[in-house]
Amino acid sequence: MKIAMLGWEFPPFVSGGLGTHCFELTYRLAKFGVQIDFFLPVGAKQEGMPPSLRLIEVAKTIIFPYLSFSKSKSKPPSYGENLIAAVEEYSRDCVRVVLEEAKKSRYDLLHSHDWMTASAALQIRKILNIPWVHTFHSTEFDRTSWPWEYIVGIERMAACEADRIIAVSKRTKEQVLRLGAAESKIRVIYNGVNFERFASSSIPSHSTQIKKEKQIVLFFGRLTEQKGPVQFLHAAKKVLEKKPNTLFLVAGKGELLPLLINISMQLGISHNVRFLGFVPEEEQRMIYKLADVYVMPSTSEPFGITALEAMSSGTPVIISKTSGVSEIIKAAIRVDFWDINAMAEKIIAVLSYTPLSKTMSQLGMKEASLHTWDKTAKETLELYKEVSKVF
Amino acid sequence: MKICIYFQVHQPMRLSRYSVFGRPLGYFDDELNSQIMHKVAQKCYLPANNLILELLEKHPNFCLSFSLTGVFLEQCKKFAPEVLESFAALAASKKVEFLSETYYHSLAFLFQEKDEFIEQVKLHQQAISQLAPPSKVFRNTEAMFSNDVAYLAERLGYSGIMAEGLDHILGWRSPNYLYTVKGCQKIKALLRHYRLSDDIGYRFSARWWSEYPLTAEKYARWLSELSGECVNIFMDYETFGEHHWQDSGIFEFLRHLPAEVEKRQNLEFATPSQLVDTLAPKDDIDVPYLTSWADIERDTSAWLGNQMQQNAFALLQSLEKPVKESQDPELLHIWRLLGNSDHFYYMCTKSLSDQDVHNYFSPYDSPFEAYINYMNVLLDFQQRLKKS
Repeated sequence: MKIAMLGWEFPPFVSGGLGTHCFELTYRLAKFGVQIDFFLPVGAKQEGMPPSLRLIEVAKTIIFPYLSFSKSKSKPPSYGENLIAAVEEYSRDCVRVVLEEAKKSRYDLLHSHDWMTASAALQIRKILNIPWVHTFHSTEFDRTSWPWEYIVGIERMAACEADRIIAVSKRTKEQVLRLGAAESKIRVIYNGVNFERFASSSIPSHSTQIKKEKQIVLFFGRLTEQKGPVQFLHAAKKVLEKKPNTLFLVAGKGELLPLLINISMQLGISHNVRFLGFVPEEEQRMIYKLADVYVMPSTSEPFGITALEAMSSGTPVIISKTSGVSEIIKAAIRVDFWDINAMAEKIIAVLSYTPLSKTMSQLGMKEASLHTWDKTAKETLELYKEVSKVF
Repeated sequence: MKICIYFQVHQPMRLSRYSVFGRPLGYFDDELNSQIMHKVAQKCYLPANNLILELLEKHPNFCLSFSLTGVFLEQCKKFAPEVLESFAALAASKKVEFLSETYYHSLAFLFQEKDEFIEQVKLHQQAISQLAPPSKVFRNTEAMFSNDVAYLAERLGYSGIMAEGLDHILGWRSPNYLYTVKGCQKIKALLRHYRLSDDIGYRFSARWWSEYPLTAEKYARWLSELSGECVNIFMDYETFGEHHWQDSGIFEFLRHLPAEVEKRQNLEFATPSQLVDTLAPKDDIDVPYLTSWADIERDTSAWLGNQMQQNAFALLQSLEKPVKESQDPELLHIWRLLGNSDHFYYMCTKSLSDQDVHNYFSPYDSPFEAYINYMNVLLDFQQRLKKS
């Protein structure tokens, strides 16, 4: 089976779950013997990849749509128009390159990820007449409080036109249904985690001192409203009332950073909060280990791979009920993202009750180890086979 | 073949949500407890009691047994006196036996010193004696049983004790006889026939079950085909109307059972005391470790299987001395209510399949929250104790 896969990001250029997913999925599918040509804007390193996986650079683009642009009218400058132009240009290039490759050898199936590649996928499908599988890692409604009609329009098109849709959670499936997709073609395939990678990490020597002195609470995600960093800071304030010797790490970057810094000052907790900015891949693993508890307070989280990563690292997790990952894990404490008191309460409990944190850590590792990318890839492959048969 | 039916009746005193940021008025959530008591009364206790009363009148040879925990009786008095009256009506029939157990449905037998356990058994005797004459058969919380439990029960004057009829205790032997217990003189063990009990308790409304639907006729036929002297069918009373809803046909099953049993000459009903009085033990069983009727493991791991449970239990136990020294009856009562086994059951983190059963009964979103809330309460209680 030969697949043309259209993506946007790939390690080391990763701004979220999509990049991780694409890497892990393609790597494993290739190992299962599926031939994959993965088309993406920026070239990524080929070393260590199975020979049946080719990474094909379509065109250099500098835009990371989930990371570096703001759609808020009140916060100029906006990259909005540039983004549309870049996406449309990329689409044209992508169609051209895929069709060129298709001349050399035939593709059996087309698989695209999220809205940026959906327009290109639609055109390619029409020309090559092959089945089209589209994965929703999120929808516009998860990413912003001000959904953009242009993007929603593309998502609606993908929801209606794709032959099969993969939703990364039941929650996402609900969103896709609202976009107009027929239920019969949607499959929920959950993300996984590279368990060994996170289980085997350790705290760097320069951090052992801080670990001894402070208890550490971690936030790790894009600094956007949907990830709930504001709630995190308000919960931090509450925790500090009871446990003043706690350090709150905010890892990740995004449009809310200036606001968050302001809030931490207004709340009078800036001494206990560190903004780490973008955390490179290698440091991510250490930072999970460093934390005594990982908090994912997202207001809307299609999946939340970071929760599985933290669990793999043996770190207890507190996650919002409005997350896809909460559909599949039991070894976590679930909170309502708006319930700051409950969030603080649970953070304090994990920091205070050692038997609790130990039990959560042990069970969390055990549970996370069951959610492998192999499983995700196998389920995806099953879907490929199913759609190929009926097409 | 004597058919011995026993129903366990219990409602835990569930805790209020205790936050480190704000205190509710009391440790126990009266509103929730009253709500659940009313719900279960309507769905189970009242209709099932009425049906049983009807059957006792209609079938002279029908008899059965219950045990009602002290915590249940207390909540009946407080929230649903009509339930208590309804049990009193059953007791008045003289064909219903009320077994003995710990007042607080507690894990007190697991304390290092057994004084507290003995006190709770006596408290229960007092409470139940207002309803019916004391029974000579004892049933420890969640059928927790071992040679030592039997030994202590015998010392307390009991002549019978209930236990789970586990294969590894019995080996090739049948649960359908009475047994003496290693290290004890005369006390007889009544062993639960777990398969036939669970056919009603768990599988009754399971559509995946090859025997679904279970009718009274079929069940009575199975009973009549058994060999042995007695069959012990023990389960939670909430089986009727709560675990299996009314529309599953569970009440109809019960309604027809006495008549189906009467049709078969080799079958008759007996209470636990009647078994103990009339049957001779066949052999000795040796149970050096604690067994129970809970989960797949049938041991104490449902309550003390993980670090959180052990930690909470250790703290609870450590407060016994200061509580008793305070000589404050209210504090003592609260402490004992905090020893209710259910609080520990909610903290269980075992296998996923049993986890679902634990979750079904739990008022918490997860075992972690059960532990957090319990510890918040217990630590507050500890502070209160220090001040007194």
